[in-house]
Amino acid sequence: MEKLKLENLNEKIWNFFASVDLAVALFIVISIAAAIGTVIPQQLEPEATIRFFSKFLSMDTSLKIHDIVSLLDLNNVYHSWWFTFLLFMFALNLIVCSIDRLPNLLKSYKLLPQALSMKVLESMPLKRQLILSDVSNLKEKVSETLERKGFYVIFFETPEGIQLHAKKWSKTRLAVYLTHFSILVILAGALLGTFFGFRGHMNIVEGTALDFIISDEGKTIPLDFQILCEKFEVEYYENSAVPKAFRSYLKILEKDKPMMINGKETVILEVNEPFSYKGFNFYQASYGFQPTEHAEFRFTFFHDNNKKIPINVKFEEKVRIPNSSVLFSVIDFSPALGIDEEGRLFNMTTDMINPAVLVEFEAQGKKTQQWILKKIPQTWETPYGKLRFDELWGAQFTGLQVRKDPGVPLIYFGSILLCIGLFVSLFLRPMNYFVIIDKNKVIFYSPTLKGKVTIEKELNEIIKKLKGEEK
Amino acid sequence: MSYQIISIAGLLYIIAMPLYIIYLLTKKDKIGYSATAALCIGILIHLFGFIQRFKEMYDINHSIIRSIPITNLYESLVFFVLCLVIGYLILEWKYGKKGFGVIVSIIAGIAIGLTELLGITKEVQPLVPALKSNWLLAHVTLSFISYAAFAISFVAGLFHILMISENRKSFKYILSTTILALMFFLILSVIIDMATRANQNSLKIFHSTLGNSSPFVVILSWSALIAFIFVFWRWGEVIVRIFTEFKIDANLLEDITYKGIAFGFPLFTIGGLVFGAIWADQAWGRYWGWDPKETWSLITWFVYAFYLHAKFIRGWSGAKTSIIAVVGFLVTIFTYLGVNLFLSGLHSYGSM
Repeated sequence: MEKLKLENLNEKIWNFFASVDLAVALFIVISIAAAIGTVIPQQLEPEATIRFFSKFLSMDTSLKIHDIVSLLDLNNVYHSWWFTFLLFMFALNLIVCSIDRLPNLLKSYKLLPQALSMKVLESMPLKRQLILSDVSNLKEKVSETLERKGFYVIFFETPEGIQLHAKKWSKTRLAVYLTHFSILVILAGALLGTFFGFRGHMNIVEGTALDFIISDEGKTIPLDFQILCEKFEVEYYENSAVPKAFRSYLKILEKDKPMMINGKETVILEVNEPFSYKGFNFYQASYGFQPTEHAEFRFTFFHDNNKKIPINVKFEEKVRIPNSSVLFSVIDFSPALGIDEEGRLFNMTTDMINPAVLVEFEAQGKKTQQWILKKIPQTWETPYGKLRFDELWGAQFTGLQVRKDPGVPLIYFGSILLCIGLFVSLFLRPMNYFVIIDKNKVIFYSPTLKGKVTIEKELNEIIKKLKGEEK
Repeated sequence: MSYQIISIAGLLYIIAMPLYIIYLLTKKDKIGYSATAALCIGILIHLFGFIQRFKEMYDINHSIIRSIPITNLYESLVFFVLCLVIGYLILEWKYGKKGFGVIVSIIAGIAIGLTELLGITKEVQPLVPALKSNWLLAHVTLSFISYAAFAISFVAGLFHILMISENRKSFKYILSTTILALMFFLILSVIIDMATRANQNSLKIFHSTLGNSSPFVVILSWSALIAFIFVFWRWGEVIVRIFTEFKIDANLLEDITYKGIAFGFPLFTIGGLVFGAIWADQAWGRYWGWDPKETWSLITWFVYAFYLHAKFIRGWSGAKTSIIAVVGFLVTIFTYLGVNLFLSGLHSYGSM
């Protein structure tokens, strides 16, 4: 008695996890939870939550709500224990449901087909009957018409006449399980990434190298190699502050020696074009302005015979212009020089949209000043020759996103399975007809009403063909 | 400019709406043909505008794949309309029924109207670095084709609910007639907004109706809205009768509802979710990050997964499943527009 009860309970639990009701309930609950996460700010600082709620409610209520929010992890929904639990239930549901149903389906493929009784046929939801006057080779005609439509046809002799089973795409039922399996693969990949992977970032200033990553949780992760940023540049669309592209020129250093990557020492990293080294993936993510000690202004001086002489100077460092006694130095810099309505100069942003330097010349004790703009050739002309401002090097950092995630191959594999599974199960639906041929009478039965319009359309076509051949 | 050409196409879509209504009321074939013709000419002009815009973008980007105009909110709305109208015309041709051309032209009209009324830029913009990827084409086109398929399933589902509701007190009847009334009110409001605009900058949605500065107009608009809901509620059976006269039965509507989802769901999965994840993986270094757009796409996916499971495993049919299809499209709209308008996130290219 006890044992029976226990078995009964076991069965109940099993059926609960195998049920589509649980699946549907999980769809709804996970959706609502996920939606909440897009509305309440997902930031752990209490200020963020309180600020959000105080927009609609009084301060006191907001403070109280914050307590509830942090108790239920509503400010960290996607990483909360209960959301993880929901996803776990989802996975369990998928697994149990497949174990519950798949063996029966596989068994049904192995079963030898048998003639059905009239009672079963008559209980089918769709029935079409037609009477033909020409009865010669009727069996061949019907089966040929069905076979031409891609059906697989078998016959039985029954007292009511010839019974004919026509099947198409019956194996595509398996695709549903492929779809479910693919979701499990994706979840497994995500799990693998959570436990054995990490994400972080590196901000490397032009001209320097770093050998550690700051993870998203704020931890420092040392690398056994260094990444050197030789140069960083942003390209802008013409006459616009919209960046067209930004890229870093990087070198990987192992014990201070540059490594060859794809046959080259320098890697050019751009948005949408990541590169990987030793299992780490590097992405061009951001950039910023950060002047440093080693920053230098790079100029090109055009000598009389158009010989180009590069000149690099530090801030306020005095340098002699070649073949002259004139000294020049950089006394001001603007990354984005603009002119306001009253003609005054001002700096727009720290992005290098329109880099400009204020240069001071010193000739025989006389001082003159001039703005030289990188993008405006007219400003390169000075009383002492043509001086082009090329760049300020060493004043920007490149922001790299770094990731190590062993789950990614599983994610890609699962995604491919998901697409195949969905396409097969939704576009190639199994079709079944049962036909009774009794002298000049042909009766079609369909065991399902799913896609009734399509079935009726197809039956009409088949009937038209049978009748058409008669004429 | 390409957007002026596309506006003309939008005007034709809006003109198609009254033509479809008159056709349904008078049953004159000529008017039916002219309604279809309005949509067809609209599509041709639209395609011409689309090609013009492609050329304008090509002059900036110099890349064929990256010059398909689907890179900001305006272009995506316009592309959605293109897919929707083409999809509807195929359906009309296949089934020979013009019954829900009215609602399709309303959705097209509202979408084109929104491009004017949301204050979004219609100029060709250079691509920001994050969008410079060949995944852009695959991800965005497939997503919008699936949105259009969901829209068609929404229209069919809405009429299906109306067709099979027993009486005026049933929830199904009230739901479907109210949504129809809201859509008619919205399109009228959009038309009046555009007709009464003083200048480009004063444009705002509902500025001439619910959001007007004069309280009188506001009260009038609200009363009109309530009157609309009442009229549709009171005379909703007329629609059912007309549909029956045109031999559009509940089975056909249910079938189209299903087909829209059966077509849209795999495309949405592959284009929206999978390609989106791959692209995010390449550009941002993570395939999934619970960004609002990603999260709402997943919710949309769950709603339609719900529909398919309810229909095939639970054996639900009739109004229950069609209500899920209607809710599914409302969630789709939120995923597409709501997320950009109300929530912030990484998909900011789609914002204004």
